[in-house]
Amino acid sequence: MVELAFPLAPWLVWAIPMFGALLIPLYAKFGDKARDYIAVIFPLLSAISAAMMLPLALNGQIFHQQIPWITSLNIKAGVLADPLGVLMANIVAWISFLIMVYSIGYMHGDTNLTRYWFFMNLFIGSMQLIVLSDNFLQLFFGWEGVGLCSYALIGFWNKDKEKDYVGTVGHTAWGFAQAYSPSHAGMKAFITTRVGDVAFLIGILTLFFYSGTFGYTELAAEHQWAVELARSGLLIPVAVLIFGGAIGKSAQFPLHEWLPDAMAGPTSVSALIHAATMVKAGVFLVARIGPLFYVAVQSAQLVAPFFQTVAWIGAITAFLAASQALVAREVKKVLAYSTVSQIGYMMLGLGVAGLSSEFVGGFVAGFFHLTSHAIFKAALFMGAGVLIHATETKYMDEMGGLKGGMKKTYFAMLVATGSLAGVPFLSGFWSKDAILASVLDVGGIMAYGLFGLATITAIMTAFYSFRMIGMIFFGKKSHHLQEMEHHGHDVREAPTVMWLPIAILAAATLTIGVTGPFFEGFLETAFAKNLKELYGMQIVEHGFALNPIAISASVLALVIGGFFGYNYYIARRSDPFRMVQSNAFLGGMHKFLENRWYIDALYYKIFVNAPITASNVLFKGLELGVLDKTNVVVSKGAIALSAISNWFDSNVVDGIANGMATVSTFVSGRVRKIQTGVANQYVFAFALGIVFLVILMLILL
Amino acid sequence: MDIPIILTGTLAGSALLLPALDIAIGTKTNRTFSAYFTSFVMAISLALVLLSATSVIPLGESAAPKLLQNDFMGLVFAIIVLSVALMVSLSSIDYMRDEPNTSIYYSLLLFTSLGMILLSFAADLLMVFVAWELMGIPTFILVGYRKKDPNSNEAAVKFFLLGALSTGVLLYGISILFGLTGSTNLAAVAAELSTLDASMMPMLAFGVILAIAGLGLKLSIVPFHMWIPDAYEGAPTTVSTLLSAGTKKAGFVAAIRILAVAFPLLKLDLTMALAVIALATMTLGNLAALTQKSMTRLLAYSSIAQAGYMMIGLAVLPSNLGLTGLLYHSFNHALMQGVAFLAAAMISSRFSKASLEPYEGLSRSMPLTSFSLTIALLGLAGMPPLSGFWSKFILFTAAVDGNLTWLAFAGLLNSALSLGYYGLIVKRMYVDEPSSTQKVHEPVGFALLLLAASMVVIITGIYPAPIYDLTQKAVLAFVP
Repeated sequence: MVELAFPLAPWLVWAIPMFGALLIPLYAKFGDKARDYIAVIFPLLSAISAAMMLPLALNGQIFHQQIPWITSLNIKAGVLADPLGVLMANIVAWISFLIMVYSIGYMHGDTNLTRYWFFMNLFIGSMQLIVLSDNFLQLFFGWEGVGLCSYALIGFWNKDKEKDYVGTVGHTAWGFAQAYSPSHAGMKAFITTRVGDVAFLIGILTLFFYSGTFGYTELAAEHQWAVELARSGLLIPVAVLIFGGAIGKSAQFPLHEWLPDAMAGPTSVSALIHAATMVKAGVFLVARIGPLFYVAVQSAQLVAPFFQTVAWIGAITAFLAASQALVAREVKKVLAYSTVSQIGYMMLGLGVAGLSSEFVGGFVAGFFHLTSHAIFKAALFMGAGVLIHATETKYMDEMGGLKGGMKKTYFAMLVATGSLAGVPFLSGFWSKDAILASVLDVGGIMAYGLFGLATITAIMTAFYSFRMIGMIFFGKKSHHLQEMEHHGHDVREAPTVMWLPIAILAAATLTIGVTGPFFEGFLETAFAKNLKELYGMQIVEHGFALNPIAISASVLALVIGGFFGYNYYIARRSDPFRMVQSNAFLGGMHKFLENRWYIDALYYKIFVNAPITASNVLFKGLELGVLDKTNVVVSKGAIALSAISNWFDSNVVDGIANGMATVSTFVSGRVRKIQTGVANQYVFAFALGIVFLVILMLILL
Repeated sequence: MDIPIILTGTLAGSALLLPALDIAIGTKTNRTFSAYFTSFVMAISLALVLLSATSVIPLGESAAPKLLQNDFMGLVFAIIVLSVALMVSLSSIDYMRDEPNTSIYYSLLLFTSLGMILLSFAADLLMVFVAWELMGIPTFILVGYRKKDPNSNEAAVKFFLLGALSTGVLLYGISILFGLTGSTNLAAVAAELSTLDASMMPMLAFGVILAIAGLGLKLSIVPFHMWIPDAYEGAPTTVSTLLSAGTKKAGFVAAIRILAVAFPLLKLDLTMALAVIALATMTLGNLAALTQKSMTRLLAYSSIAQAGYMMIGLAVLPSNLGLTGLLYHSFNHALMQGVAFLAAAMISSRFSKASLEPYEGLSRSMPLTSFSLTIALLGLAGMPPLSGFWSKFILFTAAVDGNLTWLAFAGLLNSALSLGYYGLIVKRMYVDEPSSTQKVHEPVGFALLLLAASMVVIITGIYPAPIYDLTQKAVLAFVP
């Protein structure tokens, strides 16, 4: 543990945007310009604070500071600035800052910008709180904050105008509309991620129950909790429950459906969610818990099921999402599916880390891919925002031929897309290759399965990357664009405030691409020290080495996917649209993928329609109907009983039964007239309640 | 310092004197005298209790130790009920301004508070019963305070009928406990029960069930919850605040005191029964709240759901953590529900309608009230970093601790569900456009009161240690 030149920096990184957010409504009183610029200053200050921590990461050192929170429960608040946290904080901070600068241009003229800046700042602050927390509970605070902000920002255009809808209006799958209003999409994101949050919270509560602490360092220092968890058979369930939080936040299968629809938010918000904040939080969480569980058990075999789960979820998600990106019409949706898919790669990398003999390999690969993806995906989203502004459409088939008119955007997007597709000497090439190589390190049948899925995904990635570039920038201009030009709306390049951030990120992609092996070596050194010092892991650094199989697979994937993509969409040798229409198999496939494997529709059927029905039935049945019905049942029962025992004492019993029947008929008549409820029914319910309790006791006795 | 006796003198004296004082000092010129007087008395009492709780004034032995136990458990609940009573009396200054006979209203408020205080400290079943009635009877009148309003009258009649029934059931339960042990003092009851013949166990179980059922009415647990939405909607909303945030908590302290005695001795497992009640209560409350169209009814169902969370604390008895969570959540819930109800009261009286419509775009015309309400609702939903998160967190940890992980799971899912309707209100206030251009005046004093309370919610959320330590101290002193 070392001293930091400026020990408040790890606190300020998240505190500045968080408290800055609270000040924005005040600054809004000084006019819009002042508010907009001040809103961007907070992320800048946060980023500078993050940069001040960089020496720690460069030396592989750890800064840890705690303050008491609830002492009697042994809960402390604190910051943990290890290389993982510091590097992550810097990625988040600087990319967020660039996106905020871009927002000045992109959101210009929108009303309600105070709300926008407030939530953007809170979003960044919450994310940094996740990154720099030294315990799970504090992390959860940020976790919830991120969830809340994503809800508010995805649903930012709350007027729900049809032009803001995500998806094609009118398109349905199994009768469920596949186009969502921004409010709906925001709610969907919130609810879906909350499912993961519930799992996460249960996981950490159980962990707390067994270990008595939430702190990473405490958990890493003493491993009795793992022994006891393993003894009660809860080790893997707890790890997987915590991973459940990451599945939700990072939009992994089976909780991946919210992210494509989150495109209903402003594009700058999408950029922030995809590149810097929300979805990266899940990956970061896995990077935090992976080593923790890995070192806590005697043999890595014990936690292997957990890492297998992570790896397979990652690989399956990567494949699933990439296949859907093949047919997407909206440019942002291509990017969204691609994010889900690429996050799957990162999970794969972090998963295989715990399966191979060398933990650090997969760990570095996963984080390296996170870094390169964050940079190129932010560039791609901001580029997409520029395109949507310029062409006034979100559909790629309504763009086309923009290469000449928007040269700067074209070059920036080309670099970023190339990195996504895995073109050699761009950042994505190295990081994807590192993941493939670490998958191969595991060895065995399973590794080949994962490797196969990852390679097929790489082919699809190359294809949709070329398709996107081809549809947007090559070929003839679409009717839509021609009509726009006819009306005198020429397609124009973006203003500097929007263009510059994209250029910086494209340049960063190139820089990391050129220095790829060195960058990976640096990460490995830093993380090896990090894992050793924080978790006591024994690491053998093996330096940078190319795995020939991985390299050839990724180049081959690029060539195959790229060939088809180039053929259909850039050279335009044949029309894929006509092919899909004429071929029944391709047509069916296209529809299947376009409808997202019907998973979305299935979820709506099970999780949306069913509870609404249940709620209605429950409310009507229980709150209004049950008394009604019990009355009838009781009186009917009494009548039946009286019929049987008629010979015994016909007068008395009949009299009671008739009386009850009369009363309940009268009462049920009233309940329909008066909505506020009837007193004697309440008394009756009260008596029933006591009976219910007695029966419950009798059952339990 | 003998808190229960001193408070009895203060509150009962003020309650009795108030109507006379009101006549003497002159209602014609100053209609708000009673309100200020009552608030002053409440504030003094609260200050006294707080000083004892923070050990500035040493906590002495009670003058009647067999009747009233002067302990931290009582102090915590005294803080809760007095804070609520103070909030209610302060907010009534504005809310009840145009009502006649306000001195009676405030006198009844003081009597109810006294009942709640005595219940908090009660160490004897007879004391429990007397305090229960002292707390209950004034609220029957308060619910029907607007005698010209048919809804208010209807609510009062229903409330009275159910209240009388529950009192009878409670008394029946107490009589069984007395019959089994020959004593009404809780400590003596516990001592006698430990030597109870096994053949008498079903009788004891029946007595405890009746006591739970009798208390259950005030606790608003399923299946004794049905009257709640009607009563809360019909009563003046300040009184609903008192019922939801105040008397319910007093019901919980009585339940704790009785169950903590009976629980370890019962040879049967009450855990599962109470866990099922907890689950049913929170689920039904949340589901029903989702579809409500009136704010008071929505809050009533939300209050039912919150009682479900608190039941977790009773289900895991004799776990200390569970009781701590229950006390802690009682405190938080009293504060948050108080703010929510009072804000709803203000809004519905300003717009003369109880529906959700006035909430559209409310943040523009009533910014302070909207902000406080937002904090209260998010706190009720358990959103970190607000205090509601912590108490739920303790309760759910206690559930995991007590091998009721499924209940913690259900509680978390329920919290997620509850955000559906709480969030909708917040969205209406901040995002939606106002439907009418009606100008409304935000009463500053009232808004500042709500703001102060919501600040407590935020601050104790960010730094929860003091409240947690206090509740833990109360539990540890109670269950050694």
